[in-house]
Order: sequence, then structure tokens, then C-alpha cells
Amino acid sequence: METLPADQAAVVSPDLPLRANQSARENIALIPLYQKHFDAEEASRQARTLLEQLGFASIGDKRDPDMKPAERFVAKLARALILRRSRLIIERPGAMLYDIPYPAFLRELAARYDGAPATWEVFDFDWNRPLY
Amino acid sequence: MEFLLNFVERTGAKAVGWWGATFGVLAFLAEVLSTLARPATWNRATLDTIVKQIYFTAVQILHVYLIYVLAISWVIITITLSTARNVGLFDAAAEMIIRVLLLELLPFLTALLIALRSGSAINTEVALMKVNNELDALSHCKVEPMQFEFLPRIAGGVVSVIGLTVLGSVLTLLLAYLAIYGLSATGLSAFSTTISSVFSLPVLFGLAVKCIFFGLAVTTLPMAAGLETPKKLFMVPVSVLRGMMRVFLALVLIEVLSLALKYI
Repeated sequence: METLPADQAAVVSPDLPLRANQSARENIALIPLYQKHFDAEEASRQARTLLEQLGFASIGDKRDPDMKPAERFVAKLARALILRRSRLIIERPGAMLYDIPYPAFLRELAARYDGAPATWEVFDFDWNRPLY
Repeated sequence: MEFLLNFVERTGAKAVGWWGATFGVLAFLAEVLSTLARPATWNRATLDTIVKQIYFTAVQILHVYLIYVLAISWVIITITLSTARNVGLFDAAAEMIIRVLLLELLPFLTALLIALRSGSAINTEVALMKVNNELDALSHCKVEPMQFEFLPRIAGGVVSVIGLTVLGSVLTLLLAYLAIYGLSATGLSAFSTTISSVFSLPVLFGLAVKCIFFGLAVTTLPMAAGLETPKKLFMVPVSVLRGMMRVFLALVLIEVLSLALKYI
């Protein structure tokens, strides 16, 4: 895969974990808090709204070790989406969503989300092509 | 001949290792200072995280710390007073207590307590963050680990060492007064004269600088050791071991240097 400048693509990858000692909401809220300089309350509200939109409002207070693979994936996805970059790349989803039929799950999440970027790029192993 | 070659090789490797580690710590410290000096660092989020770190480092252990200070101070004050009485130097006892406890022992023991409690936790956490790629993930999100993770812990550590030392000192002074003069107010004048004669401006400045260095040592050294950890989980305990050894050596070095500057 080509290397992208960090400010062009938001990546959801098994190699980019959540901050383990923070809840899902805190992980997502870090972006508006540190990049856009919102106050803690507003940053937390934005994170909560995004999780609600993706249908996973209940994971807000969970920390990484307490999350199921799908919940962890959604938290990582929300963190990538809130970066508001021009591209969203999901790298090796099978490595993160190993216990569910993930192509359908990704379509479901994409259908729920109505913000930018509108297109999500999935990079997966070639032998998983039949799954899609 | 082979023995000599091996010896030179081993010594050289050790020297290079030490130099690498020292350079790593100094480079990390330079980065900390440059981040401190950047106005963009000082936003609401950073300040909130610093306050949180001060809470975790100092406020959470306040009751334990005060009991610990109470016990140590009581024992040392009792020993000093009884020895001073035996050798006929009771008048100098208050000054001895202030010099030994307040200027030397309390700052050192405070730094040691914070090193054991928070320094080891910082070292482990940073090492785990490094091994688990969490630092890379933060960088990908353009949340600078230095600003979000490291700087607040360093600031929290320095403020905690200073704050706890001041609180411990106040408690010790109170205890010393009670031990020497009891509940009577007659000794207040003499006691305050002794305090002001010991705590001259240069001494206060030296104490503040020592506490700042202690605070920096108990936070930056474990962090630097954590950042040096190779991305292998089994190396985390080795990293903590190295980091804590460096903290201990640094604390002793700071204390010895401060004593040497003061008394030699």
C-alpha cells in the first residue's frame, strides 16, 4: 500500500490501537480537544454524537480491554471519522473484526454514517475477495 | 591478549550504551523544554491534564504521605532532641532538625516516594504504549504524545514533589515546635528566629531548585527509559528496571551535589 501523508487519510488499522487507559469516548474526544481546541465538554459531546450515529452509544464509557472486537473497531472508526480527513482507509478489517461477517457490518456502519468522507476505502487480503 | 581485547570490547560497548542512554535522556529533556516554551502547548486541554496528573501523583497519596512524614519526623526529632540534650546542645536542636529534616531528608524521601509510586507507573505505561503502538496511533491522529502524555506527567511530578515537600515541612515544623516547647506559645519567637536564620534566600532558592530537579528526575528518566523499550512485551520489565535504577542514581547524585555545594 502506498504511504499517505498523515493529514490526507484517516486510517483504521490493527496497528493503530486505542489509548488503553481511556474510554472510547475519551479516545474520540481527544481529536476535537487537541486539534480543534474545543473544551472538554464539547469534545465529549461530539464523540458521543458520533457513537450514537454509528449505533454504538453504549460503548462510550468502555475502555479498550473491556470492548468486544466490533465495539473496539467502532471506537477506532469513530476516532478516524472525527479527524475529518479527505480519505478514510480501513486496513485489514478481518484482523479487527475476526468474529463477525465484517463486509456486511462495514456496509451497515457506512449506511448509518452521513458525514464526510462519503467513500470508505477498504484494504484487505486478496484471498478475502469472495467475502465482499 | 584475547582477555584484554574482550575487556576493551566490553568496556567500549558499555561506554557507548551509557552515552546512548544519556544522550537519549538529554534529547528528551530538550524536547520537553522546547514544548514547554511553545505558547501553543498551554491550552485548556494541557492544563486539565496537568491538574489530573497532580491529583493522581500528589492528592491521591496525601494521607499516606502525611502519616509517613509524621512517623519519620517524630522519630528523627526525638532522636535529635535526646542526643542534643545528652551532649549539651539542646539550644541548637531546632536548627539541626530543620537542616537535617526540612532541607535534606524530606525532599529526598518525597522524591523517593513519588519515584516508587508514580515513576514506576509512568515507566511501565510509556513502555507499554511504545510496545502496543499507542504512541504511533496518537501521532497519526496528530495528538502529540509530548503534549498529551509526557508534559502533563512531568509538570505534575515537579509540582507534586514541591507541593508535598512544602506540606511535609509545615507538618514537621509543627511537630518540632511541639516536641521542643510543648503547647506553650513562649517559644514562638525563638523558633521563628531559628527558621528565618536557616531559610535565607539562597537556601530557599537552592531547595526549590533541588525539588525541581528531583521532580524532573522521577518523571523524565522513567519516561525516557519507557521510550527506549524495543517493541517486545517481554522487554517492559527490563525497561522499568533500567528506568528505576537511573532514577535512584539521579536522586542520590542530586542530593550529593546539593550537599557538596552547601557544605564543602
